[in-house]
Amino acid sequence: MKTLIVAEYREGNLLDSIYESYSFAKIFSDEIICFAVGSESALPEFDKTIKLYFSGIDRSGEYNPDVHKNLLKTVIDKESPDIVVMPHSSYGWDLAPRLSALLKAPMISEAIGYQDNKFVKPVCNNKLRLVLTTDKKPLIVTLQSGAAQGEKGSVKPDMIKLDESYETRYNFIGYEEAEKKDVDLTKAQIIVSAGRGVGKKENIAIVETLAQALGGELGSSRPVVDAGWLPHSRQVGTTGQTVAPKLYVACGISGAIQHLAGMKKAEKVIAINTDKDAPIAEVADLLVVADLTQFIPVLVDSLKK
Amino acid sequence: MEFTREIYWNVGHVVLIPMYLIALGSIAFSIHKLWQRRIVYLKGKPVNRFDNLSERVWYAIKTAIGQVRVLTDKEMGLVHLLLFFGFLLLTIGTTLVFIQADMLDPIFGIRFLKGGFYKIFSLVMDLAGLIMFLALLIFTIRRFIIKPSGLETTKDDVIMHLLLYIIIITGFIVEGFRMAATEINRPEMMIFSPVGMVFAKIFAGLDNIETIHKAFWWIHLFAVAGFFVSIGLTKFKHILLIPTNYLVHNTLPKGTIDTLNFENEDATYGVKSVSDFTWKDIFDTDACVKCKRCQDRCPAYASEKPLSPMKFIADVGDSAFTGTELENVISKETLWSCTTCGNCQEVCPAEIEHVNKIINMRRNLVLMEGEFPGDEVMLAVNNIETNGNPFGFAFATRADWAKELGVGLFSDGGEYDILYFVGCYASFDKRNIAIAKSFVEICKLANVRVGILGKEEKCCGEPVRKLGNEYLYQTIANENIEVFKKYKISRIVTTCPHCFNTLGRDYKELGLDVPVVHHTQFISELINSGKIRLNSGKMLVTYHDSCYMGRYMGIYDEPRDIIRSMGIEINEMDRNRENSFCCGGGGGRIFVDEKGTKISALRVEMANKTGVDTIVANCPFCTTMFEDGLKVTSLDSSIKVKDLAEIVLERIIK
Amino acid sequence: MNILVCVKQVPDLEAKFKINPDGKWFAEDEIAFKMNEYDEYAVEEAVKLRESIPDGNLVVVSIGPERVKEAIKKALAMGCDSGVHIKYDKENELDSFAKAYAIYQYAKDKNFDIIFTGMQSQDKGSAQVGIILAELLGIASVSTIVDFKFNNGEIEVKKELEGGKKSVVKLKTPALLTCQLGLNTPRYPTLPNIMKAKKKPIEELTLDNPQNLCVIDKISYPEKKGGAVILEGNPKDLAQKVVSFLKENGIL
Repeated sequence: MKTLIVAEYREGNLLDSIYESYSFAKIFSDEIICFAVGSESALPEFDKTIKLYFSGIDRSGEYNPDVHKNLLKTVIDKESPDIVVMPHSSYGWDLAPRLSALLKAPMISEAIGYQDNKFVKPVCNNKLRLVLTTDKKPLIVTLQSGAAQGEKGSVKPDMIKLDESYETRYNFIGYEEAEKKDVDLTKAQIIVSAGRGVGKKENIAIVETLAQALGGELGSSRPVVDAGWLPHSRQVGTTGQTVAPKLYVACGISGAIQHLAGMKKAEKVIAINTDKDAPIAEVADLLVVADLTQFIPVLVDSLKK
Repeated sequence: MEFTREIYWNVGHVVLIPMYLIALGSIAFSIHKLWQRRIVYLKGKPVNRFDNLSERVWYAIKTAIGQVRVLTDKEMGLVHLLLFFGFLLLTIGTTLVFIQADMLDPIFGIRFLKGGFYKIFSLVMDLAGLIMFLALLIFTIRRFIIKPSGLETTKDDVIMHLLLYIIIITGFIVEGFRMAATEINRPEMMIFSPVGMVFAKIFAGLDNIETIHKAFWWIHLFAVAGFFVSIGLTKFKHILLIPTNYLVHNTLPKGTIDTLNFENEDATYGVKSVSDFTWKDIFDTDACVKCKRCQDRCPAYASEKPLSPMKFIADVGDSAFTGTELENVISKETLWSCTTCGNCQEVCPAEIEHVNKIINMRRNLVLMEGEFPGDEVMLAVNNIETNGNPFGFAFATRADWAKELGVGLFSDGGEYDILYFVGCYASFDKRNIAIAKSFVEICKLANVRVGILGKEEKCCGEPVRKLGNEYLYQTIANENIEVFKKYKISRIVTTCPHCFNTLGRDYKELGLDVPVVHHTQFISELINSGKIRLNSGKMLVTYHDSCYMGRYMGIYDEPRDIIRSMGIEINEMDRNRENSFCCGGGGGRIFVDEKGTKISALRVEMANKTGVDTIVANCPFCTTMFEDGLKVTSLDSSIKVKDLAEIVLERIIK
Repeated sequence: MNILVCVKQVPDLEAKFKINPDGKWFAEDEIAFKMNEYDEYAVEEAVKLRESIPDGNLVVVSIGPERVKEAIKKALAMGCDSGVHIKYDKENELDSFAKAYAIYQYAKDKNFDIIFTGMQSQDKGSAQVGIILAELLGIASVSTIVDFKFNNGEIEVKKELEGGKKSVVKLKTPALLTCQLGLNTPRYPTLPNIMKAKKKPIEELTLDNPQNLCVIDKISYPEKKGGAVILEGNPKDLAQKVVSFLKENGIL
């Protein structure tokens, strides 16, 4: 099959998702081509030469839906790929449906795997897996970050420049930085995170005692941040920070896919949860089935001894 | 010589007209003043508090004369009782004097204040004055010297104390001068006015006894007139208003909240401004004497929440009398702070109804403004809407706790002796599931066939109702009632006092008429009928009266009897029975992230003072709150909370 | 001004899902349904906008079986003016394109100035319907907004990117916005509004020829990789085991 993979840039920098898409595409493709609107100084490099359709940020914008979708459409029209793979990110989930509409092409979001020639995606908070099929092409797929492992290669692509221009209805004003971080979780060696399962704000303090006892940082899942119990700077997951500590302790975190994607690279994972069927068990080394408000104080005592 | 005295001695009958004019004038003034307040009461909505009038009148008389409500505080209540009886006797005595001197004697020539009766009369009047004086002295010392914290003293109090002192002291002085002039040589008579005698002996021999007597007689008269006037102007109005409040007291079962009717689409719900209250609610605020008994017992106040029931009532009164909007004097936080524990009402000597006022104001916030005490509460309420429990567990898993226990589901068509209405906490919360299991075990050993509704059971609606969400309450209550009716339920047992109150009392308004008992009552039945037998063995515990078993339902002895029947000794906490201190979980507060001092922490510290290692509870909210409180006070290693059912199961003879 | 908000009714995710014998979906009889959380933010934003302009009309649309009327009613109680129910009993069999197309069929001649949708659904999580609908209607769209301002036909939104970063975008009406959690605080409907909502019209439409591009092949439970060692017991023993695990792995 022929697959078109789409790169994503942020402030001129190429994001690693392209390599995940590349290695994912390799599973089912005999030909892979790439599309990027980015900077020439940061082109993707693979393990072999592949075709790269390229437009510069200077002329097409880092993300401009009207321009990017039309550029991508010209490439698809020309190359007729069977599959288009984009990252499941603020870029991919915005751009992909536009192509789906424009081409009347089927689309599968948030793919996490490829089995029996079909794409698999999680549904219902990761409690179920859905397999979708289609007989139409191209099939547009957005790939959940972390679903495939891929590294930068060293072979420069064969660049084909796109020089079409398009009208746009969007006026990109600029980026607004995330609120000032009081902590950089990406560099932490030990992270103890609190999830919705802590139940109430005051129980965050219990989780914090464990973080202190282990000499680690306090992290959280999205619901805890949404509830205003912890600042966004503490959030681990696709909309927060992607972390790679030696030890990750997930307290009361069931394991939504967005969270798992952000902490999968942790070397060792301990989960504390009342539900032994929680999806976090998939990525954890230990799952302690306990009420965290009862268990953590005991654990902290043992650690102090 | 006869034992009697000359009425109007020295002052003469010429004082009659001015005296009656002054007295009646001052009384008329006060009546006019109080009558004017009626306009403010009538800002409120109508409510019928004059049904069964004869019963109400009798109740008001016996409650007032018996000082029944005043004695909810033993010490200060007794002092007030003494002052009251002193005052009452003097009033009766003075009235007798007028009856004889101005009616019976001049018209019929009848004099009854003589001989043996006069001896008693004289002694009683004299001692009544003394008792009143001493009681007043205690009040004065307390209010102006000891100054208990939270007691508000205003110029009203100064005026009231001064007036009473002047009346009592000038009364004795007048008596003393009269006796000095007329009885100084008759010790056998003076002995029946012992206090007067002391004064008489001091005054005897003075030159101008008659002039001074006259002067004091007038001072005394004016002081009494001042007292009559002050009834209309100061807190002395309570002398009339509190007995009236007894007359119009709430005769519905305790905890009754009016069931709103949602048929009128343009209606507004709850209380936003004073005119949304009933006239009785406004009258309540006028009957308050700010004795602060409610405030002293309020768990919200004790844990530094922005609620004092006393201040709340005063603020409602302020709004009624000054026209300031309620929302400008009473904050939302104040309203959300109430646990509906009912201790304020239980202890109020004026029978003021605090809790329903708060609930009615909450109703306005929730139903008309969509307000909540916090996001966590909104989440709990949304969970109840979606899944019928505040935690958000899937409704279909409600009976999971009972799998492997052999508890039948009514939907399976079995025959059962009782419906066990499990409630949310016992269905989903691990700690309380253990209690549900204990109860079921006990029933099994007693050969009682227990059936549950499983996924057809929903939250009883109590917390949301107390939070003011009457609409959601009625929605889920009606759904529960439908299910009860579908299975023709004939008896319901709950392990939760909140469910117990709601199903047993509130659901009646919605058309359910099935006997509901709490599990402690049911266990008591099983013991009394010999269906279960318990081992006796020494143990020391303290027992916590939950608000909704105790104050709301008056069930204090049955649980204690069960405990004692097992040879277990109870070390009572200072705050027990009617004055039990809330766990902090009532009134929907169980859903709230409690800021600052935790009510449960205060309560477990009270338990700790009894020196026991076990708190026996009867309510899942209490159990949950205490386990929390034990953690924050680090008492969890030394004290544990057990439900009565768990203790019984430990002792049951199998 | 015409405003449209699209809502979906989704299963309560706390539920235990039992897969149907055909392996294509799960049994719905023991599951509670509620309005998709993302859509609550969309409704709130739409209602806020509706309240801020003198003469607006706010329509809520939903696709699905009879039960989705509950979600429509909730949106009406939150402040929408009227509802549209596109009836389709097997909503789960529709893919994103088919749903977007069905709404497009309804909306194409209604001249909506602004359309709000949730950023994604909590169950399928595709994040497609809003954007596809905008493209079909030929109007501009921004996804994942966390801030919305409207001034005289001009819209300024903040789109959430990764790591808390946002991009600020201006565009003109007509436009479609997909709403991220945290955009606002969805209101709890007041009782008078619940009562009024009972009288608001809900137009019923049918969906005869769904334009599916994908079909469900199967649904399954995630494979248990057996990665985690499950520890149960009393807290003291558990703590001991965790401590030894940490020691074995050189963390302590």
